Amino acid sequence: MASSSPRDVVRSARLLVIGLVAVIVVLGLAIVLLAISRSTAPVEPGQVDALENSQDKCVACHRNTTPGIVQQYGHSTMAAANITCQDCHEVKADYPGAVAHEDTFVLPQPSTAMCERCHTAEVAQFNQSRHGLPAYVAVAGSQGLSEKLLAAYQAIPEGQFAPDKSRNLIAQMEGEAITRFACENCHNVGKPAADESVGQCQKCHQRHEFSLEQARKPETCNNCHIGPDHPQWEIYFESKHGIAYSTGGEKWNWDAAPGTLTVKDFPAPTCATCHFSGFGGAGTTHDAGDRLTWYLFSPISERRPSWQDNQVRMQTVCTECHNKAFIEVYYTNADAATESVNGFIRESNDVLKQLKDQGLVNDRPFDEPADFVHYETWHHFGRTAKFGVWMQGADYTQWHGAYEVVKGLGELKHFLEAQPEK
Amino acid sequence: MNSLATLFPPLARLRRLPLSRDQVMLLMAAINEIFLGVDTYLAHSLSGTIRPNEWIPIIFGPVSGGVLLLAGLIALRQRGLAQVLATVVFVASIVVGGLGAYFHIARTILPGGPAGQQVTLDLFFWAPPVLGPLAFAFVGVLGLSAAWVESPPDSGTLSLLGGVRLHLPYSKTQAYCFMVALGTLIALISSVLDHARTRFENPWVWAPVGAGVFGVVVAAVLGATDRPTRADVLTYAGAMALLMLVGAVGAALHVNANLSGPSLVVPERFLRGAPFMAPLLFANMGMIGLIALLDPTESS
Repeated sequence: MASSSPRDVVRSARLLVIGLVAVIVVLGLAIVLLAISRSTAPVEPGQVDALENSQDKCVACHRNTTPGIVQQYGHSTMAAANITCQDCHEVKADYPGAVAHEDTFVLPQPSTAMCERCHTAEVAQFNQSRHGLPAYVAVAGSQGLSEKLLAAYQAIPEGQFAPDKSRNLIAQMEGEAITRFACENCHNVGKPAADESVGQCQKCHQRHEFSLEQARKPETCNNCHIGPDHPQWEIYFESKHGIAYSTGGEKWNWDAAPGTLTVKDFPAPTCATCHFSGFGGAGTTHDAGDRLTWYLFSPISERRPSWQDNQVRMQTVCTECHNKAFIEVYYTNADAATESVNGFIRESNDVLKQLKDQGLVNDRPFDEPADFVHYETWHHFGRTAKFGVWMQGADYTQWHGAYEVVKGLGELKHFLEAQPEK
Repeated sequence: MNSLATLFPPLARLRRLPLSRDQVMLLMAAINEIFLGVDTYLAHSLSGTIRPNEWIPIIFGPVSGGVLLLAGLIALRQRGLAQVLATVVFVASIVVGGLGAYFHIARTILPGGPAGQQVTLDLFFWAPPVLGPLAFAFVGVLGLSAAWVESPPDSGTLSLLGGVRLHLPYSKTQAYCFMVALGTLIALISSVLDHARTRFENPWVWAPVGAGVFGVVVAAVLGATDRPTRADVLTYAGAMALLMLVGAVGAALHVNANLSGPSLVVPERFLRGAPFMAPLLFANMGMIGLIALLDPTESS
């Protein structure tokens, strides 16, 4: 081959450049075509087992010892994002709560401090909520909290409501053998960990799939918000919202990107939609009280601090489907119903006081029928009536709620009238 | 070639711009670096947490943009120093872009996944935008091209420091056209991967596909053409104008999609919803494409 002149070299380089550009352009356009054609098929993130051929030592061992969690985690979006077992579980030897495990140290149940390393905003919102320390203190009391945790507790609206709460009397009577299977199952959602971080994200974001769909479905809330003292699960399914979910929920877009939900994704709300999701004009929150106007759980309901702001946030969700007049009338009527239940409970408190003043009931808690009647009147039926009002559950407002409140009040009055004055 | 003036003769009679074409390109590169930093900040804020390596482009963007603007001022007195400064910034920009692409691609691959599913297109739809960081690399290459003087104009010969002359196979104008083609390709693929999440149900999302493919092909072919005709340049200018239009309309549509109710602004929807700055990449490429058609002559 004859030697090339500089001009030939330049010409060859031109060809090379054209060739390279053509290759890149053609490959790029091929990706475009492929992407368009593939996008017509449903794309389900998390369907691939990201750990199927993993050589990670945690995965390799736990595939034999606890294959269920490996199977679950392999299909999680966290595994798909290359978050490893070590990222959440592995800690230094001197970390509070660390347990020696296979030549390293781990937290058997990662604390929220571990979640917080990536989900900072979510954990901060949670820490300020009823699901945080107030949930735990409601059963365990505030006496065991460190100075730091007590300050954190008292800074939460629900903490200010009962700043020096003692251990729940019923939990005391039942004992830990019972409560660890009962009260603690739910109230530990706000339990402090050894590292003084608060709560258990996995109560709502179930291990190890951490599925959006699971967290958004009302079945998740059913784990705690059920039964005579706060039957939100039952009320939801009585409501129009629950009917819409039961009859059409399988068509909803459960994996829609967080913070961007609209009525196209969720034509009717679940618990998460109203209380947590970024839906329409409302931003995402992990503070369960962020959109609530009343302390409905308390015997005599009071307005929450900044309830007007909370109301705006909740009504922002409502306005995605309901007109403003409907919402305002609903709130006005529900406020009046709440005050009405408050009136009955106030009256029951007065009757109980009279019983005690007259020596007809002693000061020891839960040892006489009147104690239980009074307790159930506000704790079960008063709450149920109020929850029924706010969540559109007519039967729970009436027969499981207000009727039982009136009945309880009548029974208390009967105690007063039936006993001869001492 | 002074192609814009060729295309629109009245432009030739206009007073010379206060900046040369390369200076305008450098200004665009500086603005691009700053906006890329802002855009990356918004994208990396999605989870509410920015990990240490995610701060690299966020900090690099505005800092490099500032340094480039400073270099522009220094160039008024010491062009050599300004060129060195700009070169360092642009090389760093290429490194940052390459690193970012690596981090994003690593998130797209499932090394432990089943055989045949470790790398799939579906994963590309949902992973961080694998080509997004390459915008930094693109600006780096564009800036390097603009930082060194081509003498004589349209010769493909660059004057480097110390009188070194680098002969390139194409003129700078042609190189710009190739870069516009590749930059538009990045914008096109990114938009297709993003829109694939919505399964192309909205007819508007086909607009960037059509305009993007047209822009890529026209820019690449013009780059490879030594003596383009007036019609060639007109087609190219039309393609660039189309990219600008698609970018502007796309940005407006993305903003509109993120509004809730009666024009209610929810910041979270802007962060997690349709990326309102992304379509502007098309407009950016169109603008760079048109700047490439300016007179390549350097003022003394």
